[in-house]
Parts: sequence; structure tokens; C-alpha cells
Amino acid sequence: MNKGVVAWHQQALALLAKDLRAELRTKVAVSAVGVFTFSALLLLALATINLKDTPTLNMGVLTDPITRDGVVSLLRPAWEPASKMGLLWVLLCFAAFTGLAHTFVHEEDSGTTAALRLSMTASAVYAGKLSFNFLLIAVVALAVTPAYMGITGMPIGSPLVFISVMLGGTVGLSAAATIVGALAAKAQGTSALYSALGLPMLVVFLIMLINAAITLYSKNPTVLQIGRDVGGLFSFGVMLIAISALVFHFVWED
Amino acid sequence: MADKHDGEHRIEIKEVAHQFGWRQVFAPLSASVSGGQTLVISGINGAGKSTLLRIIAGLLTPTEGTVAVTIAGQQQDALSRRNSIGYVAPDLTLYRELSAAENLQFFARLRGITLTRDDLIALLTQVGLRGRGKDLVGTYSSGMRQRLKYAFALLSQPPILLLDEPTANLDIHGVAIVEQIVAEQKQRGGISIVATNEPRELEWGDSVARLELP
Repeated sequence: MNKGVVAWHQQALALLAKDLRAELRTKVAVSAVGVFTFSALLLLALATINLKDTPTLNMGVLTDPITRDGVVSLLRPAWEPASKMGLLWVLLCFAAFTGLAHTFVHEEDSGTTAALRLSMTASAVYAGKLSFNFLLIAVVALAVTPAYMGITGMPIGSPLVFISVMLGGTVGLSAAATIVGALAAKAQGTSALYSALGLPMLVVFLIMLINAAITLYSKNPTVLQIGRDVGGLFSFGVMLIAISALVFHFVWED
Repeated sequence: MADKHDGEHRIEIKEVAHQFGWRQVFAPLSASVSGGQTLVISGINGAGKSTLLRIIAGLLTPTEGTVAVTIAGQQQDALSRRNSIGYVAPDLTLYRELSAAENLQFFARLRGITLTRDDLIALLTQVGLRGRGKDLVGTYSSGMRQRLKYAFALLSQPPILLLDEPTANLDIHGVAIVEQIVAEQKQRGGISIVATNEPRELEWGDSVARLELP
């Protein structure tokens, strides 16, 4: 047995590989997320069967004389694309928090944290768990979004901005889920605590996401608007990761 | 496989005590142990034997006192000494959803240890699990899991072994394996600290520290 120096990113990759292997074997997170997502999509499809194509009109914008063409030109969908995007992320948030709760809570409950703490640094644990959560949310988002678009009629808008919003959302959500999961696990967490701890972060996250969605679906967004709203969404995720990386040591070693 | 450790190892426990909330677990304790020695810690249930071992392992910070760990003549802090410690305890669990071999390979990778197939077989043979390496840990009996903890502890051939209730769940062959491990650790100049109340295990110690309630 040869012993060498191991870098934190190698430890993080080893943890990610272990988590993926365990997940492929047990499918705990995937099945929890899958069941929730499937049920939510089914309910959504039933609830919005008539809503997605229903037009609405703000009577205040009508001008004399009222003509048929004038009314038709002012019609807009009752369920706007930005709201659809917001609802998609509410769904993804709940799905993610349902499945990701186990990443740290499971380690704590099954007593494997002592072996991990003896073998790897806190920063490597954080990086490994964050990567796993990011991958899981990305896979769920990839699977759910096309189905959701089919059910609700949510448009893509500008493809580049759309991908940026989805990526920024995935980064932010995985960052929030990871640190909240760690806090809940250390507090001998229950899923109720997990939700309570996650709420303040999720509210800010969803507000930023809806701002980005409004920009995505506005007719002619300026570069400044895109930079502010989509960039803001990314900044939230990056800031959360930076803060989490700084405080994770204290959470993990507590 | 058993290399003699270079330099001097020493653990100095100075007036260590710990409180959980308002409750002090044990009265301040001082003890020291050097390479080639075994320290046995005894005390009634709830006296804080496991807590003290967690403190020595660097998994818990004592509310009072200090633990100074020197490995090969070099002082180690709580984080750096973890790599030099083999830890076997009831609160330590390996991944049930992985096989024994996968567990050992995973922890070897984390510690930067190149674990060849022969190394793995030798390790599993040493703890009496040869031929069961591919089985999921979730299918193991409690005695087999205890043996696997020893394989985990011996992965890096650590200069310090911390054994909490070392023969829990083990059959007579398992107990003999543990005695052999402790004897080999002593022979190659390593330190063993054993938390137990078993009369047979108390005899392993060059010295015995008894934890008293405050």
C-alpha cells in the first residue's frame, strides 16, 4: 500500500463517484424526485387543461372606437410565460428538496460522517455533495422541462437566455439545497426543519428567477436587462456557493 | 505490510473534560501514552469513554484541557492527526449500499492510498473477511461489520489506533484477530488506546485510566 498526498478536488471527485454509485444502486433520491415530479406534472396537466390557451385583456388599455381587430391585438395569455417559468422552478425546488434531503441527512443518520470526517477535508465534502446535487437537479430539469413545456405551452424565448436561466437556476438551487441539507443534518434534521431552513433562501432565489424569466420573455430585452437579471441569478448561486464554502467547515466540524 | 513507524509517537492528555450542554461528562483527566504502548480507558456506562476517544481522534473539541498528539516527532493539530488514526467505534459505520471492497477502495482513494487487489485481499484476510469482499455491507452480520471497521482502521497502517468497545459483536476468532492487531501495533511502535470495561481487554493496557463522573 503506497500512501501519497491527495488534493481536495480528488477527494471531492471520489465522493461524487461514490454518491453516484450508491444512487444508481439504491435510487433513493431519483425515485423520491421522480415520484414527486411525475405526480406534480400530472396534477398540473389536469389543472391547467383549459388555462394554457385562455386569453385575457386589460380593459384599461382599450381605446375608442373599440374594434374587433383592436381587441384581438391587445389580447395576451391569461397565464404568462414568466409565471409558467416561475411555477416550473417551484416544482423543481420541491422536487430537489424532496430528493436532496438525503445527501447529508442520510450520512448523518447512517453514521458514516465519522468515517468521512476522518478521511477527507470539509471543503472536499462540500464540493462533492454540491456536485452531486447539481448533477441530480440538472438531470431532473432536463427530464421535466420538455414535459412541462408540452403541458403548459411555455415557450423557449431566446434559446441562449433560456439556457442561461435554466443553468443559473440549477446552480442556485443546488447551492441552496446543499447548505440547507448540511445544516438540517447537523441539527438532527427532519424534513420539516429542512423546509423551514430552506424557505428564506428559496424566496430570494425564486424572486431572482422570476425577474430573469420576465426578462427572458419580454419582447426586446436590452443587454443591460439580461446582464442584470440573468447575471443576478448566476451571482446569487455563486455568492451562495462562496458563503457556503466559507461556513461549511463550521457546520461540518460542529 | 506492517512497517515500523519512524520517530516517536506520543499522546498527552492534559486536564481534558467535556460538557454536553450543562452536563459535564467526566471529571478532568490527564494521561499520556507513547509509541509501543497501549492505554486502556475504563469507566462505567455514560462515564465518557467514547467521548474521550472522539476528542483524541479530533472529531470533538474538548470544553476543557488539551490533547497533544505527536506523530514521528511532529506535533499534529486536530485535523492533521486524523490521517494518522485508525478508529473503530460503535458510532462509526461504513456504507451499507456499497460492498466491503468498494468501501475500502473509496476510503483508500480519499486518503491517497494506492490499494492493489493483493492489498485488499490481504486486508480482508487479516480481519477474517476473505471471500466476502464483494458482498454489500448491508447484508453483513454485526460481527462482520465490526471486522470491516478494523479493515477500515488498518487501511493506512496508522501510528494510532483508537478502539472503542473493540470486541463488540465479535466471536472468539474475531476477538483473537483484535488481540493480534493490538499486539502488532505495539510491536511496530504504534499507540493503541482502548475504551473498554471487559476484564480481558483491561489486561491489554500498559496503563489504565479510569474515567470518573464529575
